[in-house]
Amino acid sequence: MSSVTDSGRLLSLDAIEPGHCGIVREVEAGESEVDLLKSLGVCLGRKVMLVQAGDPLVLKVLGSRLGVSARLAARVRVEPCAGDAFGERRLPRGIG
Amino acid sequence: MAPPAPGGADSELLVALVGNPNAGKTTLFNALTGLRAKTANFPGTTIERRIGHATVGGRHVRVLDLPGLYSLSGRTPEERVARDSLLGRLPGQRRPDLVVLLVDATNLERNLYLASQVLELGIPALVALNMVDLAERSAIDIDSDHLAAELGCPVVPVAARSGRGVPELKRRLELATRQRWRPAPLEAVPAPEECAGCPFKARFDWAESVGMRCTAAGPRSPGARTDRIDRFLTHPQVGVAAFLAVIFVVFALIFWVAEVPMDWIDRGFAGAGAALDLRLPDGHLKSLIVEGIIGGVGGVLVFLPQICILFFFLALLEDTGYLARAAFVMDRLMRRVGLPGKAFVPMLSAHACAVPAIMSTRVIEDRRDRLVTILVLPLFSCSARIPVYAILTALLFPHSPLGAALVFTAAYTLGIAAALGMAAAFKRTILPGEAKPLVLELPSYKLPSLKTALFATWDRARIFVRRAGSIILAVSIVLWALASFPASEPPAEARAMRGRAATLAAAGDGAAAADLVRAAEALSSQHALAASFAGRIGRFIEPALEPLGFDWQIGVGILSSFAAREVIVSTLAVVYGVGESAAEESPGSLFDTLRAATRADGGPVFTTATSASLLIFYVLAMQCLSTQAITRRETGGWRWPLVQLGYMSALAYVAALVTFQVLRATGIG
Repeated sequence: MSSVTDSGRLLSLDAIEPGHCGIVREVEAGESEVDLLKSLGVCLGRKVMLVQAGDPLVLKVLGSRLGVSARLAARVRVEPCAGDAFGERRLPRGIG
Repeated sequence: MAPPAPGGADSELLVALVGNPNAGKTTLFNALTGLRAKTANFPGTTIERRIGHATVGGRHVRVLDLPGLYSLSGRTPEERVARDSLLGRLPGQRRPDLVVLLVDATNLERNLYLASQVLELGIPALVALNMVDLAERSAIDIDSDHLAAELGCPVVPVAARSGRGVPELKRRLELATRQRWRPAPLEAVPAPEECAGCPFKARFDWAESVGMRCTAAGPRSPGARTDRIDRFLTHPQVGVAAFLAVIFVVFALIFWVAEVPMDWIDRGFAGAGAALDLRLPDGHLKSLIVEGIIGGVGGVLVFLPQICILFFFLALLEDTGYLARAAFVMDRLMRRVGLPGKAFVPMLSAHACAVPAIMSTRVIEDRRDRLVTILVLPLFSCSARIPVYAILTALLFPHSPLGAALVFTAAYTLGIAAALGMAAAFKRTILPGEAKPLVLELPSYKLPSLKTALFATWDRARIFVRRAGSIILAVSIVLWALASFPASEPPAEARAMRGRAATLAAAGDGAAAADLVRAAEALSSQHALAASFAGRIGRFIEPALEPLGFDWQIGVGILSSFAAREVIVSTLAVVYGVGESAAEESPGSLFDTLRAATRADGGPVFTTATSASLLIFYVLAMQCLSTQAITRRETGGWRWPLVQLGYMSALAYVAALVTFQVLRATGIG
C-alpha cells in the first residue's frame, strides 16, 4: 500500500528523510481523513517537512506540527525541495 | 433572561465564536462570559455547545461557542453543526448577528483557511487575532490594519490568556451592535469552479499570499522550544515512559488530594443523617430521607472530589499541549486493539471514575471509535471498587499484605484485559472498522491557564451533579423502597433483647444495655431486609446465583448495589446482621461476621471460591447508575447504556460462574 510511486522525482511522504521537506504534488483520495489532512495544509502546492519518521510520524506544515499515521502519509507524494540533499532513494518503512 | 432593551423583544445580540482547535477559543469565551455559561448539546446531537452571556456597553449579548474546526466543509458532524448553526438552519436558533472569528497569530495561514470559509457566509464578522503575545515573542509581526483591509472586517489583536485586548474586543462588539455592516466579498479567493478539484489549494494560495502581505519578514523560527521538548515527548520509547510518569503523578495527586474533601463530604452527609435521625419522628419518612436520599446521594457525591481533580489536571495538561503528545505516543499501541491513541487518556481516567472518562471521550472524532471506548470504559477498576476489593481481599487473604497486593493487582489487570479484549471484540462485531488513521495537531507548548482549567472543572462538576444526581436520587428511592417494604415487625428475639436492655439500664449498667440495643437493632434490620421485597427478590433469584457460589443475601447485596457498587459493603453488613453503623466504625467486625456467616448446611458462606467469584463479578459487572446516565447523555439514547449493561452483566456472570466452578472442581474452597 505504501509503495513509492516514482513519477518523476516524487516521493511518498513517509519515505523522505527526517528534517527534509517537499512540495506536495499528489494526494491520493480514498479515506475521509485525507480531507482533514488537506484542510490542515497538506494539499497541493504546500511545503511540508518531515520532523520525525515512524508510525505515526510528525510533519510540519504552515508552521504547525501534525501527528499523522504513516498509512495516511503514504497517500501524499511530494517533490523534494530544492537545496535539500536527497542521496540514495530509501525504501518506504513497512507499517507496524 | 435578557433584560428588556430598546428596540423590541428580540434585540438581544447573538454572537457566534468560531475558530480552529487550539486557537484559544475556550479561553476567549471564558474571558467574555465568565461563569455565566451553560453547557448543553446541540439539539438532536451529542455535540456540545456552550452558550454564555456577556454585557457589552450595557447591552445583553448571547455568546455561542461553536466546536473547534479546521474547515466548514461538512466532513464531520461538528463541521455540519457549525455550518448549520452559522446559517441559522438549526431548530430553535436563529442566524447569528455577528461572528467573532478567532485567528491564531502564531499560525496565521492555516487559520485563514477557515476564516475565508466563514467570511464567505456573509455574516458580519470581527476577527480576534489571538496569541499576539506569543507571536511577538517569536518575532512574528502582523500588521492588523493591513489584515483588516484584506479581510474586509475589523481585526482586534488580543491575548485571551492574559486578557490583553479583550476590552477593545468588547468595545468593537458594542460598535457592532449599533452599525451592522456587511462584509466585503473576498475577491481574492477564487471561486471553486475556477479551480475544479483543488478547492484546498486555491484557498491556501490565498491564505499564504494574505499572510505574506500582512506579516513583516523576519527571522521566523517559532516553535524551536517546542521542537526541543518534542524530541523527548514524542519519541516512541522515551515518550511512552514520560507519559506513564506524568500519569502516575496525576493519579497519586488524585488519590492523595481527594482524600480530604471526600472525607468532608462523607462526614457532612453522615452528620446530616445523624442530625435528622435525632429530630425526625421514627417512621417511613425518616427512613426515606436518612437512608434513601441522604445515604444514596451521599454515596455518589463522595466521588465528586476525584472527578473534579481529574478534570482539573486533564484540562491543565490539555492546555499545555501535552495531551496531544500523549495521544500521539499511545496511538501505535492502541491501534492493536482497534482504537485510536486518543482513547488512552479516557482509559486512564476510568481508573479513577468512569464518569469523567466517558465525558472526556469527546476528543475521539470517529463515532465508532468513541462508542467502543465508552462501552469498555466501565470495565477498568474505578475507585468505587476499592472498598469492595478491600473487603473481599480480607476474606480471601486475611492479614496478608502480600496476598492483598496480589488480589488488587489481579483485579486491576483483569479489568484492563477485559476492556481491551472487549474493545477488540466490538471492533470485529457490532461496531466493525479499523481505527481511523491519526491526524492530530501537536500545538506549541505553553503555560496552562489556571482559570480555564477551573472553569472546565466547574462545568464538568455541574453536569455530574445535575445529570447523574437526579437519576441517582430516583433510583436510591426505589432501592430504599424495595429494601423497606413491606414493613415487618421486629422478631421476638429482638423484642426480648430490648426488654433485657431496659432491665439492665434500670440496674445502672448503661454500657451493657447499649450493646444489647445495638444487637437488637441489627437483628431487626436483618429481619426486615429478609422480609422486604429486596429479600424476596434475592430469594427468587437465588437459583440463578447459586452456580456462582452466592446465597440470597449476596443476591440482595448485588441488587442493592445496582446503582452504586460500593453499597454492597453496607448491605452485606445489614443482611448478615452486623448493623450498618458497626460496619463503619470497625470494619474488622464486618470481616469477622462475614467469615463466620454460614450456609444452611453449616459450611461457611465466604469460602475461597465464593469470595473469588464475587470479586470477579465486581471487577466486571456494570453496577453503576452514574455511568449509565452519562453514557446515555453522551450517546444520545438508552440503546448504548443498555448494551453496556447487558454485555457487562453477562461477562460478569459467566466469569464468576467459571471461577467458582473451576475452583470448586479443583478442590479449593
